[in-house]
Amino acid sequence: MNILNMPLSRRQAFKAMLGLGGTVASAMLPTTALASTEEHPAHPIAPADAVAMLYDSTLCTGCKACMPACNEANGLPADTLLSGGIWDMPTGLNAQTKNIIELYQDPNSDEFSYVKKQCMHCLDPACVTGCPFGSLKKVDFGAVTWNGSLCIGCRYCEVACPFEVPQFEWEARNPKIVKCEFCYDQRLKENLEPACTAACPTGAVIFGKRDALLDQAKGRIAAAPDKYYENRVYGEHEAGGTQVLYLSSVSFQKIGLPKLGSTSLGHYATKVTSVIYKWLGGPIMMAGVLGFAIRRNWNRHELERLDHEKKTGFPDQL
Amino acid sequence: MTPTPANPDERGTTLINHWQSGVPVTKGRVLTPFLAFLIVLAAIGLVLAGIRLVSPLGPFSAMNSAYAWGIWKTFNVMTLTALGSGPLALGMAAWVFNRQKLHVVMRTALVSGFLFYSTGLIALGFDVGRPWNFYNAVMPWRWNSESAMLEISICMPLYCAVFLSFEILPLFLERLYYTGNEKARAFLRHVSPRIRKVYPFVIIGAYVIPLMHQSSLGGLLLLAGDKINPLWQSPAMPWLYLVAAALCGFAFTIFLLLIVCLRYARPLDDSVLTELANLLSGVCFLFLAIRAIDLIWRGQLHRAFAFNEMSLLFLLETSLILVPAVVLQFRRFRETPRALLNMSALACVGGMLYRFIPTSIAYTPMRSTSYFPSVPELVMAVGYISLGIVAFVFAINYFAVLPGDASTWDHSFRPFGWKRRAPAPAAIPLLTVPALERGA
Amino acid sequence: MLGELIPSSTKLETIDERLRQCGISRRSFLVFCTSLMVAAPFGLALTDMASPEAVAAVLGKVVRPAVIWLHFQDCTGCTESLLQTSHPGFADLILNVISLEYHETLMAGSGLQARQALDEAVKRYAGKFILVVEGSIPTGAQGIYMKTGGRTAMEILNDVGGKAAAIIAIGSCASWGGIPSADPDPTGAVGVADLLPEHSIINIPGCPPNPYTMLGVVLQYATDGTFPETDDQRRPKFAFDRDIHEHCPRRAHFDAGNFVKVYGDAGHREGWCLYEMGCKGPDTHAGCSTRHFNEIPDVWPIGIGAPCIGCTEKAVAFKVPMFQVVQLHTIAAPPTSYAPITTTRGTISPLATGLVGLGVGVLATGGYVASRKFSKKEDDESAPGSKPDNKAGE
Repeated sequence: MNILNMPLSRRQAFKAMLGLGGTVASAMLPTTALASTEEHPAHPIAPADAVAMLYDSTLCTGCKACMPACNEANGLPADTLLSGGIWDMPTGLNAQTKNIIELYQDPNSDEFSYVKKQCMHCLDPACVTGCPFGSLKKVDFGAVTWNGSLCIGCRYCEVACPFEVPQFEWEARNPKIVKCEFCYDQRLKENLEPACTAACPTGAVIFGKRDALLDQAKGRIAAAPDKYYENRVYGEHEAGGTQVLYLSSVSFQKIGLPKLGSTSLGHYATKVTSVIYKWLGGPIMMAGVLGFAIRRNWNRHELERLDHEKKTGFPDQL
Repeated sequence: MTPTPANPDERGTTLINHWQSGVPVTKGRVLTPFLAFLIVLAAIGLVLAGIRLVSPLGPFSAMNSAYAWGIWKTFNVMTLTALGSGPLALGMAAWVFNRQKLHVVMRTALVSGFLFYSTGLIALGFDVGRPWNFYNAVMPWRWNSESAMLEISICMPLYCAVFLSFEILPLFLERLYYTGNEKARAFLRHVSPRIRKVYPFVIIGAYVIPLMHQSSLGGLLLLAGDKINPLWQSPAMPWLYLVAAALCGFAFTIFLLLIVCLRYARPLDDSVLTELANLLSGVCFLFLAIRAIDLIWRGQLHRAFAFNEMSLLFLLETSLILVPAVVLQFRRFRETPRALLNMSALACVGGMLYRFIPTSIAYTPMRSTSYFPSVPELVMAVGYISLGIVAFVFAINYFAVLPGDASTWDHSFRPFGWKRRAPAPAAIPLLTVPALERGA
Repeated sequence: MLGELIPSSTKLETIDERLRQCGISRRSFLVFCTSLMVAAPFGLALTDMASPEAVAAVLGKVVRPAVIWLHFQDCTGCTESLLQTSHPGFADLILNVISLEYHETLMAGSGLQARQALDEAVKRYAGKFILVVEGSIPTGAQGIYMKTGGRTAMEILNDVGGKAAAIIAIGSCASWGGIPSADPDPTGAVGVADLLPEHSIINIPGCPPNPYTMLGVVLQYATDGTFPETDDQRRPKFAFDRDIHEHCPRRAHFDAGNFVKVYGDAGHREGWCLYEMGCKGPDTHAGCSTRHFNEIPDVWPIGIGAPCIGCTEKAVAFKVPMFQVVQLHTIAAPPTSYAPITTTRGTISPLATGLVGLGVGVLATGGYVASRKFSKKEDDESAPGSKPDNKAGE
């Protein structure tokens, strides 16, 4: 009597499902806590030691002292491609430029503004959510740093970042992801402020605790109503909030800061999946349901197979 | 146009039952000029891939930091593995929903699916910038479980290397049984019941895992946020990517079967093809329903009819799926091979378009940028595809993959090597009754 | 480098006394002190004071230092630069602030008298005098390329240098070999520090250097016996810690991209940057860009439109071709152009586009041909070629 001819008892079916489910789950279950909605709240809360940079473009003179200061502090070469080897002249953030001053000029009027671009160190960074092995991580002070030993170079962070900050070293054989890290290794850990904020001669970009700088920014808005665009600070809520805050007299979109909602991308992306994959519940349930149906059909198939083999005399194809 | 007769016997069906089991192709040359051309393409692609491994990505491809993913990720992986979802779609239909007829074409779907996945994974392997850190994949404490990218990089290789390979194993064992010696056959009679015992459990994984990673391919794009046009960017993307995978799986299987039967002069089989066509039509409607509900729910329907570039693209993709869905509802077309071929081709292209567009054409970063694959990128992508086709042709020639008339096959296989003649069939012992009862 | 305090000698008077003796006006002395302060505004304790009067007050009480000045393979340019001031009578003043005991160019005597003067000065002030060396010392063929009074330069240096309190190597020649050491260097010319490495030596390279650098060092030593801070090449930091490029008056033109292309062109006349003409400013440590020569503004090479040749640097001067452009070492300050808010990245290769078009065309045609093979008629059985006698597809 072939075991497969016997109808499967309910208990046996149940055991089989649990067994398979357990096997599948333990094969795939990481020991760290799985995604949960608590990890990506709709409105992220800044960590207690969150630092920030406040950049007021109305104070920036475009001297670009922050650029060589950043290059020097981070050991990056100058991007002299366009200047024939003479000046550091990048056209945007790139593999040699973690921090750049860009200029917006309205072709039809006198309106212009400088803007400093670097990593925004979001409160709930999309790059951190997407990085498969946690190479990009939000560490103390809220700085988002990159760890070379965990990065596989998949460039998901470049796709995920709404500010298009991470720069992959396309020309290198050992490519890194290059982005501002608040000078974490070189200065922040020694309780020094980042090189760019230390170099700024006008105080256009300053460093401090996020809530203090937010208050200061709001104070500036209150003291000069209608000077700043929409009387608000960019980065207070954008993408859930960032640790680089902007004040500008021209529209934020004109200076290249994208229009973003107040929920983080991590929240949006994990809203549904976090429920389905919580403790791998979804897959296990699916495995159970499928297993039940498959087992039943398999038994039927096996019965027919034996008939077929008897008829043809050859083993059935699986 | 003749009206459909009421009496089924006077129907004049175009197709009859011809598929009973997988039958290898034993006539004709394997190495045709076309195949030789494909082998050369594949070799060039692989050589370039080797060079890519030791050179920086920048000069080799046209990718830049605004368009960080080139066609290897977006086409060879995200789009072609949809075509390679035949095992998932047909398998679920056959094993879960008990469409017994589909078992005979499972092998074709499996081989093509396996090859799409493996060439896609090869493409992925040569696309990452720091592959030496991939060992982190076997250290679960380093996994970032929120990342869809992690899910894909673990599940896809796992699926291909373990589950699909296991499902393909019977092909090799079968050939071994019929061409091997008595010792081999005894070994197989010993091993085969064990395989059969494990098989149902393996295929549970073989369907759960692709459900996970095909939807994660859609989930990848959720983090791209507003960079993807609102016509495509949606929380329903994982679902839609999954249904598109099923859609492409069915469509491509139909298309493939028709093409190879044309090429190798095999008769077609009415019941199987119409079954597949029915399923395809159903899945197309399901896809369109989810798409429509999603657009209406998110209030983006007006964009579909704005008749700008994106809207036209959307309408193209939708009609490419709608037309087969509607046409294949009619028995007359379901039973006409030509209509089947055209409709399945349309559905394939439509499904591929849906999966490809949000990664590239509808993906507009903030900085004004452009991306078009460079020549080496294209050559490598084509090389991988050629490799898959070449392997497929070898598979159907040397193993019993394509469905055919079992009565025409004497269970002989083409020998490996350059001999053109098919050998005289070996004396294959029939199964004895005790062997049958042992479950050999 | 710190020296020891010299006890005051009764033979040498203080500077104040000497100036009064010689009838040199206080005003001239104050002007001299001002020049000193301009030459060494910081990094030198002597001049790090509030006003020339303060410097004069301190300096006045200093005992005139005894200086023995030796010439070796030199052109006497360093001496000339010391004396070619724009203030008439200044030479006198300088020569009364220091006590120049032996100087071959300036002294009246010659021959045996000169030799005696040297020996006496060395004996009288042994261990207290400052030796100033001008010119490189030939070492080739046991040093026979230069002999004075029957002794080779090496011997003279050993003898006199051995008894000096400190040595100042003035000029590039004495600092590291200078022009005589240029390829093929037949004399084996070297600087003082190469022959007496253990001695306390201050190098003041330049061709010629600013004389106030030397004066500042000497007077500082005379004031409190200390030397200013030096770098790893023994050059005083107050004069050599920065390169020409850092403080060049034409820097704005560099930053704005205004470069001279050809001598005499419009840019040259406008005073544009000479970087592309081979100016070695970025590679050269010296103070010439702020302290010009002869106390006249713009009397220095770049000021008159000649690119700097890097005369203070051993690795640059008389070695790197004059018109060869140097590499910039520091992250250069960016020019007056800015990155735009959005940049176009990525290029589309027409060949690639063509290939894709070709591929799509081939696939579409193939699909069409295949579908044609399937008969449109309903009553045809199965696929074409499925009958055994049909050769299609074989």
